Amino acid sequence: MRLRFAAPLLFAVLAGCDTPPADTVTVVNQLSQQMLADYQHWASASAALANSTQALCQQGGSLTASQQSWREAFNAWAALQPALIGPLAEQNRSWQVQFWPDKKNLVGRQVKMLLDANPSIDQAQLDKSSVVLQGLSAAEYLLFDQSIDLSQTEQQARYCGLLLAIGGHQTQLSQDMLSAWQGAQGFAATLSNTPNQRFAEPQESLAELLRTQVSSLELMKKKLGTAIGRLSKGIAQPYQAEAWRADASLDSLRASLASLQTLWGQAQQVGLRDLVNDAALRERIEHQHAQTHDTFAAFTSGLQSLLSNSDDQQRLDKAYLELAELQRLYEKDLARALNIQMGFNAHDGD
Amino acid sequence: MNRRQLLSLGLLGLAGASLGHWAFSPASHSPLIYSARSNAQGQHFACAWHLDGQLAFEQPVAQRCHDILPLPDGSALFVARRPGTQLYWFSPSGELRQTLNSSADRHFYGHAVLSPDGQHIYATENDTRQPGRGVLGVYRLDQQISKQAELSSHGIGPHQLLWLPQSGLLAVANGGIRTEADSREAMNLEHMQASLVLMHGDGRLVSQETLSERQNSLRHLAVAADDTLVCGQQYMGNSRDRVDLLAIKRPGQALSAFPVAEAQRAGMQQYTASLAIHSEQRVLAVTLPRGNRVQAWHLDSGQLLHDAPLPDCAGVAAVREGFVVSSGQGRCRLLSLTAEGIHTTALALPAGGWDNHWRLS
Repeated sequence: MRLRFAAPLLFAVLAGCDTPPADTVTVVNQLSQQMLADYQHWASASAALANSTQALCQQGGSLTASQQSWREAFNAWAALQPALIGPLAEQNRSWQVQFWPDKKNLVGRQVKMLLDANPSIDQAQLDKSSVVLQGLSAAEYLLFDQSIDLSQTEQQARYCGLLLAIGGHQTQLSQDMLSAWQGAQGFAATLSNTPNQRFAEPQESLAELLRTQVSSLELMKKKLGTAIGRLSKGIAQPYQAEAWRADASLDSLRASLASLQTLWGQAQQVGLRDLVNDAALRERIEHQHAQTHDTFAAFTSGLQSLLSNSDDQQRLDKAYLELAELQRLYEKDLARALNIQMGFNAHDGD
Repeated sequence: MNRRQLLSLGLLGLAGASLGHWAFSPASHSPLIYSARSNAQGQHFACAWHLDGQLAFEQPVAQRCHDILPLPDGSALFVARRPGTQLYWFSPSGELRQTLNSSADRHFYGHAVLSPDGQHIYATENDTRQPGRGVLGVYRLDQQISKQAELSSHGIGPHQLLWLPQSGLLAVANGGIRTEADSREAMNLEHMQASLVLMHGDGRLVSQETLSERQNSLRHLAVAADDTLVCGQQYMGNSRDRVDLLAIKRPGQALSAFPVAEAQRAGMQQYTASLAIHSEQRVLAVTLPRGNRVQAWHLDSGQLLHDAPLPDCAGVAAVREGFVVSSGQGRCRLLSLTAEGIHTTALALPAGGWDNHWRLS
């Protein structure tokens, strides 16, 4: 007996199905360009956050404007989740952007410890410090925590050094990552121009793209599931939610989902959908994307208030199940349709 | 080396500098690799492939296997992983000679070795009456394989074991984790007791060494021709703890951390999968499926030679040119050791589904 994996293209020819409207090379190229655009957006949003905090700390700018810049940077980062492949996914660099889960309030404790020991921290010092302090999670603490009010001059004296250093660190990191994606030797080109030392063929690039997207869905489930108590016998855990201080959890999930949906494709834009021969499966995934989008769009308030209402908790449960179904479709059905083995040694080894 | 010699080694495809495949020579197959493999439907197989892409055999097995023990007559023993209870003995042509079930209250841990005299097989086993108590099943290799005795592994949850070629001692990585029959769930994460044991073939303990972090599980081993032994760990604690995941025991010396820079240590994601040593080149290679990377160092200087992505990488084995590496997801690779560094080439083997270990015949 011979071990055989699905061969959808061959099957399509034999069964007389319609051929897909795009080939793997075209789709990988489109996805890598889309992800490159996501990295550009993140770099811009990070620079805007740095500018905004400089205005707040040095030019009398408003706290509200800095908070809004943080939200935009955080959403840009969330949109990168389905594109966390390549340089930012390696060497734990992503920890420099966000520290979550934070079960023991390490962000709050480490900020306090740092500023008690070194009130005049600058970016060079922060670059060598703990990842807990370098990212948007620490910036969120400074901009949103109820114990801090950065519209007050005396509070600025204590916290602005760190806030400015974070802005500088995020600007540098996002620019470095963008540079690593751009150009003839950049990661977008590495994905698209196979074979090379990293990807032996377009199918390998595609497989890693899909694996990254499945991982992003797992993470989305974990983010929502942790908050609504999926891991704690149904008891909601509002302070374990992602970005609970800014109440940005749902915005983050919406941004990740929107990014994923863009990579899936639509009528006018090539995406993964264009590689799926099976029209019924294409329709199922399309439908699930739409349903998940609508479910999350229907939440008009933040997660923190929803968690305190039992009717809303049920709606959040439903949203979780929509995410779970989308993940199942990607991990099982879409992977099979694209002839991609998801791998198992990382998750089920010995 | 001329073309004929290259062909005889099955290495013609390696002569080109560009990315290519192992050349198929009808007159002479390239080396044979054994591996467990699974497909997307969750079916498990015992496989033997030539590195040039020619299939030797691929047979379905009931239980997922882990490591393989190639035997001198060209046959191979596939060992079920925990909590599997079967050994599958395949002839060189892929006929199932024997399915051996574990004794009552025992299951296998996925690894077995052949004694230096070729008479006995030693397999790591769990005594499920006292979950985690490490047992080495000793089997007589004859027309059939039959259990003759049991020895203590001198530890909890033994995993890989290897003979040291110079001293003739048996090295056992006791993972330190207790699991029950039919379960893969760790029972004692707060009280793990991992150890590296050196023992005689008759069971007498020579040494037992531990690591400084209690939740660091010793799992896999590789040994060089001079008995230099390297252990790969899987850390069961916090994902952000800074823990050494490779340890080395040079002949006559104590077990100590193998020097790994922070960038590579962090890239391991607290999990090493499979190790191989190229004895002639004194190079160690390690697969890191959670970090999706393969790393390699000079065994003596500790100099980093390679750190490159390979998604869901799994088995690794030393070949003449360097190492071959498998993947649960993508194409397999040849890592050629050259004066300029390590050059990566895709192998003409099927992509994905490869399990944790590769064994060369």
